[in-house]
Amino acid sequence: MAVALTSKRYRVDDVDAGEFCFQQGWTDGLPVVPPTEDRVTMMLAAARLDPKQEIAFITNRSVSVTAEKVAINAVMAGCRPEYMAVVVAAVQGIGDPAWSYHGPGTSTGGAAVLTIINGPIARELDINSGDNLFGPGWRANLAIGRALRLVMRNVCGSLPGLLDRGTLGHPGKLSYVIAENEVESPWTPLHVERGFRPDQSTVTVMAAEAPHQFYNQLSPDAEGVLTTLADSMKHSGGAGRQPQYVVTLAGEHMRTIAGSGWGKKEIRQFLFENTRNTIAHLKRTHRIPGEIQPGDEAKLRPIIAEPDDILVIAAGGRAGSFSSFIPGWGGARSSLATTKEVKR
Amino acid sequence: MIELLDPTVEAAKQPIAYVDRPGTLKGKRIGLIENTKYNSDKLLLRIGEILKTEYGASETRMFRKHNASVPAHEEIIVEVRKTCDVIVAGVGD
Repeated sequence: MAVALTSKRYRVDDVDAGEFCFQQGWTDGLPVVPPTEDRVTMMLAAARLDPKQEIAFITNRSVSVTAEKVAINAVMAGCRPEYMAVVVAAVQGIGDPAWSYHGPGTSTGGAAVLTIINGPIARELDINSGDNLFGPGWRANLAIGRALRLVMRNVCGSLPGLLDRGTLGHPGKLSYVIAENEVESPWTPLHVERGFRPDQSTVTVMAAEAPHQFYNQLSPDAEGVLTTLADSMKHSGGAGRQPQYVVTLAGEHMRTIAGSGWGKKEIRQFLFENTRNTIAHLKRTHRIPGEIQPGDEAKLRPIIAEPDDILVIAAGGRAGSFSSFIPGWGGARSSLATTKEVKR
Repeated sequence: MIELLDPTVEAAKQPIAYVDRPGTLKGKRIGLIENTKYNSDKLLLRIGEILKTEYGASETRMFRKHNASVPAHEEIIVEVRKTCDVIVAGVGD
């Protein structure tokens, strides 16, 4: 039997419901599905959640994010009820102290929440891991990420221009959900590398910039492809601040790199070693402060603190010599990617 | 007509206890909470100097947070309680 929902209720005319939601400041700028009791109840039931259950607690805001509020926002975002468990895991991820909500939820750095889905649920819900990876066309990708951002807006208070002070932001702040292409990948999936079993489903969230695409149609081996990538990564994002990174390797590059016998560990190590800048360069380009000192021309600083700060996934279309890297927000000590199991 | 559920939360009411503001800074010990952003230490030291020379504060001590995104950690809070009468803190670039 359904438990009573306690959110404030508004009676509005059917045809005006969408406009009413805009007027209340509840939307991201696009129309939403009106959050009625029956829809919200179905959302909660699909994830077997009590409306009062706390999904996350955002310390700096003293905000308890309840299942009821997550469900209302998931309805508004256009989620099907079976997406709810994924949205919940994502909310748990950004509520983890290691993710440190206050920074990426408010910063001028303009982070979005890059959300990577692993495990069987990605296939069950048709979460795209292939063609047009970051683009439109898949309901689950768009609706899940949108629900997460609506929770950040409506529950956590990250209102653009008010508490969310992103100088530029980026389109991923509407939705930024991808899956790993586990079916075609020759490598260990991200969630298994992070301590889960292959048959578990997980959500990994990282506060992140937009994807940066790179192109290499020439190289027949791993070293060639990754040399191009390393050269592009070297001066990216917070090169002086050592954030985490995600690297998404699409079909052609994935096959080329795997053909050289390289796994994710070798990829990370190569990128770690080949993206280092000299201290002198970082100072000369004003990425770190200070006058150039003797020895700075020879002293190298990696763009990440350690190789494991690069999360490598297989994702993107089968055709095309393109892949991407995604710099994390701030520095790794400010916000870390977190992975949560999708509980069903 | 349909009934819509509110997706927002009202901020929980929290009691916040304020210490009485000092009538004067004369002889007061000033804590400076540095948020690790470039030049924030220089700015705070300058403020500290002004509080000493123009307002008669007795001393300044600087505390460094782990990073700009987190609240001051417990060790800082404990130390500030013991050694400072007034603190200067801010968030900014």
